[in-house]
Amino acid sequence: MSLVAEAFVSQIAAAEPWPENATLYQQLKGEQILLSDNAASLAVQAFLQMCNLPIKVVCRANAEYMSPSGKVPFIHVGNQVVSELGPIVQFVKAKGHSLSDGLDEVQKAEMKAYMELVNNMLLTAELYLQWCDEATVGEITHARYGSPYPWPLNHILAYQKQWEVKRKMKAIGWGNKTLDQVLEDVDQCCQALSQRLGTQPYFFNKQPTELDALVFGHLYTILTTQLTNDELSEKVKNYSNLLAFCRRIEQHYFEDRGKGSLSIRLS
Amino acid sequence: MAAPMELFCWSGGWGLPSVDLDSLAVLTYARFTGAPLKVHKITNPWRSPSGTLPALRTSHGEVISVPHKIITHLRKEKYNADYDLSARQGADTLAFMSLLEEKLLPVLIHTFWVDSKNFVEVTRKWYAEALPFPLNFFLPGRMQRQHLERLQLLCGEHRPEDEEELEKELYQEALECLTLLAQRLGSHRFFFGDAPASLDAFVFSYLVLLLQAKLPSGKLQAHLRGLPNLCAYCTHILSLYFPWDGGKARWRGGTGPWDSGQGLQERAPPPTFLPCPSAEVPPPRQTPAGPETEEEPYGRRNQILSVLAGLAAMAGYALLSGIVSIQRAAPARTPDTRALGMAEEDEEE
Repeated sequence: MSLVAEAFVSQIAAAEPWPENATLYQQLKGEQILLSDNAASLAVQAFLQMCNLPIKVVCRANAEYMSPSGKVPFIHVGNQVVSELGPIVQFVKAKGHSLSDGLDEVQKAEMKAYMELVNNMLLTAELYLQWCDEATVGEITHARYGSPYPWPLNHILAYQKQWEVKRKMKAIGWGNKTLDQVLEDVDQCCQALSQRLGTQPYFFNKQPTELDALVFGHLYTILTTQLTNDELSEKVKNYSNLLAFCRRIEQHYFEDRGKGSLSIRLS
Repeated sequence: MAAPMELFCWSGGWGLPSVDLDSLAVLTYARFTGAPLKVHKITNPWRSPSGTLPALRTSHGEVISVPHKIITHLRKEKYNADYDLSARQGADTLAFMSLLEEKLLPVLIHTFWVDSKNFVEVTRKWYAEALPFPLNFFLPGRMQRQHLERLQLLCGEHRPEDEEELEKELYQEALECLTLLAQRLGSHRFFFGDAPASLDAFVFSYLVLLLQAKLPSGKLQAHLRGLPNLCAYCTHILSLYFPWDGGKARWRGGTGPWDSGQGLQERAPPPTFLPCPSAEVPPPRQTPAGPETEEEPYGRRNQILSVLAGLAAMAGYALLSGIVSIQRAAPARTPDTRALGMAEEDEEE
């Protein structure tokens, strides 16, 4: 958004309080949604829960096309539509709710850096696994991605998306990576997150921030999604403090609030 | 004894040891760790063993060309700048490198390769002058197309229906990133205390390119100059680790290890600090003596070759269009007298 438009939007946003009927749109949970989109959606849900803002989750098959930026999830609040975690955090901040106000400048810098780390490594690894690993593509991704559409549209859309993702992977230098190298990168990322978390309950000690929401979204989804093999979740399971972190957030923000919206529980 | 490692990278310009981001990062890391590399500063990517720059030829003859892998290899060979970092600092390194790649890299590409004024006056000019004939005609254009594609895929899905908007967004994120880096650096000499680490190599390469190149439209440059601790950081590293490449006064020790391909052994930092210059360095010499002497033989050879080619072209044209024709001369008789004789006979008859 340009600077002028952004200022305009924040002014409008600030004017109205958070409505009761705010909705979050994502793809169909059971049949269509993929690992990376599920992670992003869960991250936004966790963030809104942490801010104590009510949100209803609505599943639509064409959520990706409804979204203003082409990415899911997006939220529909009042008469505005905002997609992706970054802009949603800013939007929520304009409405007066923020999780990172208590951080000092250096901590804010670190938080932004770690969020980029998750986006750069974890999200890219998830995309790679979904779209560039032939076994997963054949068994899971193609079938799920095209499931709401009739033949031949399901194949066409799936191939189109796969081609797009492969191009992007090549541009950022992941085109030549093997699955083992990708898993190693995931391991490195989890190690970094685990070391940063240490023994604290949240990344910035007592209070959760959007970084916690993002990490939770990705890790929880990785741990609870069935793929062709378990290597990805095994990498995460190696770090016990990350497991405890996920469990803690799940219990505190999803079960206790009676949401129970997470269909699969961590064992 | 294994051959020493050889590093091929883009040569220097604009007051920097190298004009390319990746080459600069690898060079800086090598200087930080004192790795005994034989550095070849070349301007022809087709001369490098892998076809791209930078490239490292290891002591076993293997060729590595991805910058991260080069640094990993150096680490394996025990030249590790991150040895003293704690686990938490190692995690911070990863995080900040991701931040750099996501926020600063697109803008850097945009500034040098997409922004038309910058591209024509600075980047393309340098590459066209530095690359040898005939690469200088098509290679800069090809590099620009590659960078443009990369930029589009990186920022991807926001289609540039509105180029201005995309640009503004990119620059806003980059400004934020610079401010974050300044806040993280604070008043320390390096990001993790008093010794440089790999993160410093990368941050330095990004920042110094933005700072030193004389860009006609450099909004980011202006913002960067307003962050004094980052400027001081860059000039500090430049004066400490690249005193002779920085386009400043020549290294007083005579012939510095310019581009003659001699082994670049790490020396202790020069005992007398050169007076810390401000961000403006004296106009760098585009063609310093070192590379000039090396390119001289190629220049002469190119001249001779082009003259020969011109002569061959003219001769070929003359033959083909019949201006000059070669007649087979019958042996043991001079064609002239013979022709004359025939003509006389004809006349008589």
